[in-house]
Amino acid sequence: MEVTLKVNGEARSASVAPETTLLVLLRTHFNLTGTKLGCDVGDCGACTVIVDGQAVNACLMLAGQADGREVVTIEGLATRDRLHPLQQAFEDHGALQCGFCGPGAILAAKVLLDESPEPTVDEIRDALAGNLCRCTGYTKIIAAVKEAAAVLRTERAERTDRT
Amino acid sequence: MKAFDFVAARDAPHAVALLAEHGPSARLIAGGTDLLADLKFTPDVPRTVVDISRAADLKGIALRDDGLAIGALVTHTEIMRSPVIRGLFPALVDAAHTIGAVQTRNLGTLGGNLVTAVPALDSGPTLIALEAEVTMLGPAGGRRLLLADFFTGPRKTVLKPDELLIEIVIPKKNLGKPTSFQKFGLRKGQALALVNVAASVWLKGEEPRFVEPRIALGAVAPTIIRAPRAEAYLEGRAATPEAMAEAGRIAAGEAKPISDFRASAEYRRELIAVLTRRALEHACALARAGKKR
Repeated sequence: MEVTLKVNGEARSASVAPETTLLVLLRTHFNLTGTKLGCDVGDCGACTVIVDGQAVNACLMLAGQADGREVVTIEGLATRDRLHPLQQAFEDHGALQCGFCGPGAILAAKVLLDESPEPTVDEIRDALAGNLCRCTGYTKIIAAVKEAAAVLRTERAERTDRT
Repeated sequence: MKAFDFVAARDAPHAVALLAEHGPSARLIAGGTDLLADLKFTPDVPRTVVDISRAADLKGIALRDDGLAIGALVTHTEIMRSPVIRGLFPALVDAAHTIGAVQTRNLGTLGGNLVTAVPALDSGPTLIALEAEVTMLGPAGGRRLLLADFFTGPRKTVLKPDELLIEIVIPKKNLGKPTSFQKFGLRKGQALALVNVAASVWLKGEEPRFVEPRIALGAVAPTIIRAPRAEAYLEGRAATPEAMAEAGRIAAGEAKPISDFRASAEYRRELIAVLTRRALEHACALARAGKKR
C-alpha cells in the first residue's frame, strides 16, 4: 500500500506491506534510524516520535494509520546552526550514557515543554514515565529537561520582546 | 509481524460493513496499543485488519438526554483533558491517568481498553461503579447493555465477531455522583493493577447516610465484579469510618483473587479491603465537598 506523510516538515511517500509499523517505515524506508527499536511492544519508549503533536510509540502504529499525518523524529530537532535546547541540555548534563533512550526521551520531553513551558518535577517524571533508561537513573534527564525548559522560556521571552 | 491486509473504515457503519465483508478472520484496530503488541507474538494473525482510528463518529464526548456518552475511540488522554469529564467524574480522569504512560494514553482508546476484557483493566471499575452501559453496533443494528454484563471472562466479552463497541454511556441519574478510583500496582509508572477498586456514593441527610453505594473490584476475579454484599451493608447506613472499613472487609470476602508472580491471593484480599475503604472515604469526601459548594 502507498502511504504519504509529512516527516520533519517534508512530504515523504513509500510503498509498504500493510503490516509495516510506523517504526519500520521510518527506519527502513526513510532511513531515519534515530528512532530506536527497543522492546517493540510499547513498554520502553525508545521508538517515541511525535505524531500530530502527540508523543506515541512508533512500534504500535501501523504505517497506514500514520498516512496523512505529521511526524517529528529526533532528526527534525537540530538545525544546521545548533542543537535543539533539549539536545544541548541532555549533552551538558550527561543525561545520556549509552544514548539508546535519548531520542525517545527527548521527543517525549519536547511534547511536554510545548504544552507546559514550566513543568514541575512531578510533571516531568509523569511525561517521561514511558521512556525507560537503564544508565542514568533519570536524575540527570530530569535536570536536563528543567534546564531546557528555562532556556526555551528565555528564548520565547526574547522573541516576544523583539516583536 | 506476519502479513495481513489493511482496510480503513470511514465511520462505524462502514466498519460494520467491512467486518461483514471480510468475515470472522478480520480484527479491528483502534489505538493499536494492545492489538499490535499481541500480533507480533502470535502465530494466528487475522487475514484483515480493519482500521477504525479515523472514524469521527466514535470520537465524541457529549452530555445527552440519557447521560454522558463517551465514544469508543476517545483516548485516555482525551478523557484526562475533557472539561466535562473533569467536572463530573474526576475518578475517570484518575483511572485514565494510571493506564500505561503518556505514549499509550495518546493512542489507546476507552473502547479498546474495555474490549481487551483483561481483569485488571483500569478504565472498567469506575464505569461499572457508575452503572455505565455500552452500545454495540452490528449488521442487525445496535444493542445496549450494562458494562458489568459486557465481560464474560478473562479476555472474553459478549461482542460478536461482526460487532463493534461504539459508545459508553453513564446514565443520567449518576451524573456528578461522587466517585473514587483506587489502584495498587508494584510501581507508579506503567504498572498493572494488583487490585483496583472504584466506589460511587450519594450521601443524604443531616447525619449523612449512604444512598445507592456501588463498589466495583478489578483484577480479583475472572471479570470486574460488583461487591453486592458490601453495597447492601452500606445502603442506608451512616457514613462512618467503621462502616467503610467493614464494607472493605465484606468486599474482600466477595472476590476470588488468584496467586501469581505479582502477588498472593491473601495479599490481594488485604488490598481489596484497604482500597475499598479508601475509595469509600474519598468518595464521601467528594460528596461532602460538593454539598458545601
